[in-house]
Amino acid sequence: MINPSIQFEVHPSSGVPIYRQLMEQVRAMIASGQLADGDLLPSVRQMADELQVNMMTVSKAWSRLEVEGVLERVRGTGMRVTSGVASGPLKERKADLKPLVEPMVTRGQQLGLTDGQILDVVKSVLKERKQ
Amino acid sequence: MNAPSNDAPLIQVSGLMKNFDTTQVLKGVDLTIPRGTVTGLLGKNGSGKSTLLKCLLGLLKSSSGKATILGEDPWHLSAEAKGQLGYVAQEVSLYAWMRVRQIIEYTAAFYPTWNNDLALDLARRWELPTEDRVGPMSQGQQQKLALILALGHEPDLLILDEPVASLDPSARREFLSTLLEVTRDENRTVLFSTHITTDLERVADHVAVLQEGKIVYHDELDDLKDSVKRLRVTSEADLPTSFGVANSLRSEISGKHAMVAVTEVGPTLVEEIESRWQASVTVEDLSLEEIFLEMHGDA
Repeated sequence: MINPSIQFEVHPSSGVPIYRQLMEQVRAMIASGQLADGDLLPSVRQMADELQVNMMTVSKAWSRLEVEGVLERVRGTGMRVTSGVASGPLKERKADLKPLVEPMVTRGQQLGLTDGQILDVVKSVLKERKQ
Repeated sequence: MNAPSNDAPLIQVSGLMKNFDTTQVLKGVDLTIPRGTVTGLLGKNGSGKSTLLKCLLGLLKSSSGKATILGEDPWHLSAEAKGQLGYVAQEVSLYAWMRVRQIIEYTAAFYPTWNNDLALDLARRWELPTEDRVGPMSQGQQQKLALILALGHEPDLLILDEPVASLDPSARREFLSTLLEVTRDENRTVLFSTHITTDLERVADHVAVLQEGKIVYHDELDDLKDSVKRLRVTSEADLPTSFGVANSLRSEISGKHAMVAVTEVGPTLVEEIESRWQASVTVEDLSLEEIFLEMHGDA
């Protein structure tokens, strides 16, 4: 079901491209619980009509969020908020994470950190999360 | 007519020049418009926007260079190509004594593929009573009528020259929303010129910047906003006059502070500046208007 309480807002003259404004709003709505797992988002056409923006802009936002795994396409229905619970085999989930780790390792090496020191940083972030 | 294949660009221009006597207006324009895009041609008054559009439409003969539209030479456009083209001129001039219905019928007679149901449906939705006379209509209404006349034959390519320049803000907003509706058709390609950046931001997916007779930028509007940024640099000591940043459009240095607009913020640019000049750097997003002004060096 489309959650009727969600309200998007765009500022076309902002320096942030409209598609990124929409992506941020979806993420924020999920974080705040306004959007829950399985909620449907309005269609590209509906959004474009309502916000008076180019359809490509909305479809770009929706597909980027799909790539990020925040939304999933449901055939004939539209875009749905994916459940936060991880799915798929472990190998795939690890493969998902790898491209994000690579630049981190590169940066660590540029800063002259050893392998152990880079791991320490990761551990400390994980530790902070648990608190 | 050599019908362009589905992925062939609808407009292809290279090295296009146009002189009026000794004045050179177009100084080598390169531009490719792919099918299905909505491109805003942005330029200051006098930058050559209308001249470029008229050269593309075969209303002016270019001095040199190459241009094709719908796969053909603009100066020798076939009737078939003209049948796929819709154009709204900057100054709409319609027969004032005609009624809306009459002018639609009159225009229809020129096109074998005219879709009269579509034209009448648009007139109804855009609130143009078919029995009203053209003369007393507001400029906004006349502009909408001109758009209906340009759309009735369901053209693949729609070209609009400063479509909202003469409209007041509310009529402008309304016309742009109309234009958004027109761009819903994914097979339709739209090229429209404007000197007002905010006209472009909701409607266009691509932007081409015409500056002094040349296209200085052409890409997706989102990419432009994602790539052009302003850096505010604050150093511990006065910045030397040799201070400079790669890919800068414009920079302003005053004492310990510098403001630089750059076309690209690479992953390491900020850190390079910070370590090289002992400075702190903040990156600011820019609106299209600010980007436009930075490009023209008068921000």
